[in-house]
Amino acid sequence: MNDDIQVYRPKNNVRAITATSLFDGHDASINIFRRILQSSGVEVVHLGHSRSVKEVVDAAIEEDAQGIAISSYQGGHMEFFKYMVDLLKEGGAAHIKVFGGGGGVIVPEEIKELEAYGVAKIYSPEDGTRLGLQGIINHMVQLMDYSRADAPLDLSGLSTESKLLTANLITTLEQAKTKGNGHLAKFREALKAKIADRKVPVIGITGTGGAGKSSLTDELILRMLHDLKDTRIAIISADPSRRKTGGALLGDRIRMNAINSPRIYMRSIATRRSHTEIPEALSEVLDVVKAAGYDLVIAETAGIGQGDSHITDLVDLSMYVMTSDFGAASQLEKIDMLDFADLVVVNKFEKRGGEDAVRDVRKQVQRNRSAYAKPANEMPVFGTIASKFNDDGVSALYRTLLDTIKEKTGVAFESSLPRPDTRQSTSKTIIIPPERTRYLAEIAETVRNYHRETESQADAIRRVWHLEETAKSLSGEGLEGDTAVLVPHRLFG
Amino acid sequence: MPLYTESLSHQKIPKISLPRFKDPGEIYRWQRRENLPGYFPFTAGVFPMKRVGEDPTRMFAGEGDPARTNRRFKLLSANSEAKRLSTAFDSVTLYGYDPDRRPDIYGKVGNSGVSVCTLDDVKVLYGGFELCAPNTSVSMTINGPAPIMLAMFLNTAIGQQVDKYTEEKGRQPSDEEYNKIKAMVLENVRGTVQADILKEDQGQNTCIFSIDFALKMMGDIQAYFIENNVRNFYSVSISGYHIAEAGANPISQLAFTMANGFTYLEYYLSRGMPLDSFAPNLSFFFSNGMDPEFTVIGRVARRIWSVALRDKYGASVRSQMLKYHIQTSGRSLHSQDIQFNDIRTTLQALCAIYDNCQSLHTNAFDEAITTPTEESVRRALAIQLIINQEWGLTNNENTYQGSFIVEDLTDLVEEAVLMEYDKITARGGVLGAMETGYQRSKIQEESMYYEMLKHTGEYPIVGVNTFRDPHADGADMLEGASCIDLARATTEEKESQLSRLKEFQSRNADRSSEALARLQKVTLSGGNIFAELMETVKTCSLGQITDALYDVGGQYRRNM
Repeated sequence: MNDDIQVYRPKNNVRAITATSLFDGHDASINIFRRILQSSGVEVVHLGHSRSVKEVVDAAIEEDAQGIAISSYQGGHMEFFKYMVDLLKEGGAAHIKVFGGGGGVIVPEEIKELEAYGVAKIYSPEDGTRLGLQGIINHMVQLMDYSRADAPLDLSGLSTESKLLTANLITTLEQAKTKGNGHLAKFREALKAKIADRKVPVIGITGTGGAGKSSLTDELILRMLHDLKDTRIAIISADPSRRKTGGALLGDRIRMNAINSPRIYMRSIATRRSHTEIPEALSEVLDVVKAAGYDLVIAETAGIGQGDSHITDLVDLSMYVMTSDFGAASQLEKIDMLDFADLVVVNKFEKRGGEDAVRDVRKQVQRNRSAYAKPANEMPVFGTIASKFNDDGVSALYRTLLDTIKEKTGVAFESSLPRPDTRQSTSKTIIIPPERTRYLAEIAETVRNYHRETESQADAIRRVWHLEETAKSLSGEGLEGDTAVLVPHRLFG
Repeated sequence: MPLYTESLSHQKIPKISLPRFKDPGEIYRWQRRENLPGYFPFTAGVFPMKRVGEDPTRMFAGEGDPARTNRRFKLLSANSEAKRLSTAFDSVTLYGYDPDRRPDIYGKVGNSGVSVCTLDDVKVLYGGFELCAPNTSVSMTINGPAPIMLAMFLNTAIGQQVDKYTEEKGRQPSDEEYNKIKAMVLENVRGTVQADILKEDQGQNTCIFSIDFALKMMGDIQAYFIENNVRNFYSVSISGYHIAEAGANPISQLAFTMANGFTYLEYYLSRGMPLDSFAPNLSFFFSNGMDPEFTVIGRVARRIWSVALRDKYGASVRSQMLKYHIQTSGRSLHSQDIQFNDIRTTLQALCAIYDNCQSLHTNAFDEAITTPTEESVRRALAIQLIINQEWGLTNNENTYQGSFIVEDLTDLVEEAVLMEYDKITARGGVLGAMETGYQRSKIQEESMYYEMLKHTGEYPIVGVNTFRDPHADGADMLEGASCIDLARATTEEKESQLSRLKEFQSRNADRSSEALARLQKVTLSGGNIFAELMETVKTCSLGQITDALYDVGGQYRRNM
């Protein structure tokens, strides 16, 4: 076996899409592979389980990936992989390498056929035994290690229809910014010229990790797609690069259910060398999607710390997303973004302490803004449950977001959705009532008590039995009368 | 019923072997910790004796179109009086889609399971089986769209009786008569639907609706069961199998699964359902693999369940009895030296039978690379027949009792499970832990650990990382595969499914949109969705129904 195998480090910024095939829930092995890809320095956009060919190919194009890795254990792999090769060709993206694996489910003859059709490589269990996991990854990364930073300076073809070009421009500008080469200025100029004086509002979303920024963004997009019929939206979502390996898990796309629309472009970017929540090239990236003709841009930061207030320099309005999990109310005084954010969201509002959190945050925002003339509950602070379908807290946030866009940028998006009469979710779905959440600990205690009682009772019974037997022995020896003294309450016999 | 069997050597082999303690403390302790099968805490089994005339064997089938699976069911159950059918659906069905010509869907139609998308399909699938007979029991392995499939199944069972009535009387039943037939069917029909959405989020990944919405529908099924006195059908099969297949070790499998079970119990209680009205409708499903802990999985599950149900929840004896199905571990099968797999399955099946499972499925050896063929399934079935009929020690029914190691394992595993309960509680209970992906990441960690040991060879697997076939020459998989006839759905079957679907949809075209609108209305008004699904499935296909429900209940959001 090859345990001491060297990790191949790519020379280029390699980006890969990982997923399991459609209707396939077996994601254990793709998760292992994506982790090793990351630790080998690859930026991985993980889509999770059960993805259609179109979803994967769209993602690969929008993310300007060099490769796609799919696991397929559920059969139908011949059709799936061939269709993927076809759709990539159709989208002008035949350069994107397709890798696959499916344990023993994909048999050798099928592997041959798929590779002949255009799949870069299907890894068999034998490859696993021969190469080891890192060996497989090295093979993949070598094939994906080519530059994509080669977009043309001529932007005449750039539009919301040309997603591959948009994606490729982003890659090129990220590269140019890092290298600080002369291309950067020329590209900037070309982009500015293309944008001209079109005003494209940019919303910045920042907040603590795990607060549900992506879910909330998805819910907002869902409403926009239904409500704003012709609006085209770009989402730029940042995730941190690992300083040690250079790899990154770009994990926001996996949560997005609403983005499968031609009116949406989504790009995940790693923070790379910026070592903050905001990628170095964010302003250039925003210019690319503006120049491409999107009407509205959402930029989500990496969410490593307490939100980065520098985002406010790059966007027209900002939203800070948090949960009730901030500790004492005095902790709120340390959050910079409560000074800067136009909208503040306390997500996971259904959690214990949700209402108190919203109240405390409102008061803090009121203090920060010295807005004492207004009641605290009129502060732009929302309690939402993004995980809940059609949550009215999210709907209220959505309407106020559109108002704020208009206020800040003068761009009006006309909504026909009703404006909820609240700033926080009104109906909470209760699966387990809060007072019952300790049920499992109570069960564990019940079982342990049961055993404790068994042991103490068994000991007591044994003592009585010993006494009885002693008495019997003594009686047997002819010492009548002692039994009643030894065993006053006879239990047995 | 005789309490012993006679061996060829004319020895009387006891069915139940008793301890020989004299110390009353020891007897008391044994009764509290073990007791005889059929007595609290049911450690050795929930019934005093095994069922006579009905082995735990389930005939698992599902391939191609409903007609082909129906033929397989008939073939498999030809020699047994009890018709215990277990249905595997293709992945298109499991994700709530209709078959389609799009390649990424088309390739999966009828593969690794049967394609079912309409009431017509279910009627063909179980055609010729009397679904209300006391010795017929049908299990359906489906979760995301389970409420829809269950509604189709119950309608099929009702339809059979209506047809029978119509034939006998020469006329259709009146509304009143129809309702009578329906009530009779619901009270008698026997089987299980998996419908376990919590484990889907934790391991198996066939969630299609948002979790809250899926749970609401599960509760609706149970409420409907209570209202219609459905007593012989399990409304859920709380499953550890897929958690184990995803890589969890046996302790996590047991701990997570039972924790899920208690979560359903708490949820149904919070909806106001009386415990004894639903607890007997719950059943469990575990995997049996190679690890030592698998020996006691049923014992530990039964003891924890019964003690908790009696001492904490004050449940009746019937509710205290945990019943479960075992499937041998698919994950323990390998594509290299593929013929060795039957040996693994045999050992696992023996364990399960010694542990007095209610129901057992043995995997076919070729499951590591394909849908089992008729021949490999026959061999898998023979494993059970040999254990049940030839293997002498199974004449005894409490083989594990009195073994020091089995008792040690029982205590070790039980305490490990209880410790896991404390950990889950610290994360806000099962649902709280799911939100941060606790179960999921633990399963992945354990999977990685196994893969690592397997890779280094520290965990020996015969034919895979040790005792490798010297003639295999790096291509033993090819060799293994070439002697196997790969089962894939035929083009004719796929095409027939597509045309049947089209025919169903056009036949019901004028009624389906109205039915879907009614379903959405019931959903939005908080009514019992399952009760309405019993009507919707008469005119709408699976894919039409799931689409309609997405709009009013929300789609599942993947997480990491």
